[in-house]
Amino acid sequence: MNCQEFWNTMPELAHQAEDGHFEHVRECAACAALLNRQRTLASGLRRLAADWRSVEAPARVESRLTAAFLGQAGLTVLRPATRWWVPVATWATAAVAVVALATFLARDRHVVPAHRTTSNRVELAAVEPPADLEMLGDFSGADNDFIPVPNAARIEPNEDLNLVRVEVPRSAMIALGYAVSEDRASEPVEAEVVLGADGLARAVRFLD
Amino acid sequence: MTPNLPETDDELLMRMRSGDEQAFVAIYRRRQAAIYRFALHMSGSATVAEDVAQEVFLALIREECGFDPRRGTLSGYLFGIARKLVLRHVERGRPDVTLETDMDSSALPELMINDDPLADLIDREGIEALRRSVLALPRRYREVVVLCDLEEVDYGEAAIVLGCPIGTVRSRLHRARALLLEKLSQRWHHRPGAIALKPIRCLI
Repeated sequence: MNCQEFWNTMPELAHQAEDGHFEHVRECAACAALLNRQRTLASGLRRLAADWRSVEAPARVESRLTAAFLGQAGLTVLRPATRWWVPVATWATAAVAVVALATFLARDRHVVPAHRTTSNRVELAAVEPPADLEMLGDFSGADNDFIPVPNAARIEPNEDLNLVRVEVPRSAMIALGYAVSEDRASEPVEAEVVLGADGLARAVRFLD
Repeated sequence: MTPNLPETDDELLMRMRSGDEQAFVAIYRRRQAAIYRFALHMSGSATVAEDVAQEVFLALIREECGFDPRRGTLSGYLFGIARKLVLRHVERGRPDVTLETDMDSSALPELMINDDPLADLIDREGIEALRRSVLALPRRYREVVVLCDLEEVDYGEAAIVLGCPIGTVRSRLHRARALLLEKLSQRWHHRPGAIALKPIRCLI
């Protein structure tokens, strides 16, 4: 074994040397000296490690870290709750928003028709005059449910008539002979009124 | 009767992750000294070592680096974070080697005159000289000496910490020891009254 072979096969820091190594060391003073230096270095490093074995971080580091851990642990405990509530709250909010929007739109649709908004409000019927309007000349007939307004002028043949739809208090039905209970007297009711060319009511029918 | 064996790092870590403060304290007390010493040997600064030790365990608390027991030991994982933090301190412009000595040197023994440059490694002065020599090593050699020789981390784990093959750990360690011997010899030669060694040539 030459010097190169010796150091190529020499275990780390001269531990567990084999017989061949000892033989070379006995014959080579240089390698013996270097090996001795390495062993001394190894011993010194072990001594240094042993001397520093008691060196540790200051106690304040543990205090800070423990406080940080407790803070973090608190967050960790809260996290599952937060994670559980966040989607629920989000979906609940979204659902409420959808319902509110739907309600708003639905209410708007009901409000749009003018004839339901206010009582005693009158509008011209947008539809074609009903066929039975042609028969208003004879109010005594049973073919229609228009009721002649008391003391109103008779409708002349070929008179220009208008049909308007109104919302009136249910109590107005009493004047035309209908029986209305007192508790419902203030409720609104839809009615169609036939107006003569002079703008006066000639006949009425209730749609309720 | 089953002996009361200490909990493994992995067992403690599981308890710690469920919010067990005692488990965290147990892990910290088991591992903090090695991490602190590693940072101190690497930086030469107690301030940096304290910062690094704190940041390492904060990272563990916050699970910032995602420790996976299947990929290595907790010890190796902590050393790995500590190494990165020390390097970060270096990159921030902190001195790599500060030679800051926080240890009390008032009790050092009288310097012994000896013909062997390494013979004084048996006394405290020699050990302090060795520590300074380790601190003066280039970083890549210093970290293997600190890990393998001073903290007795095995080569496999050191390879994981350093992110290199085991063969590289061995070769760096070999080179680091040679450099240490050289530095110690230089230090010894520069002592007053030191005797220059004659070069020896192997004839066999």
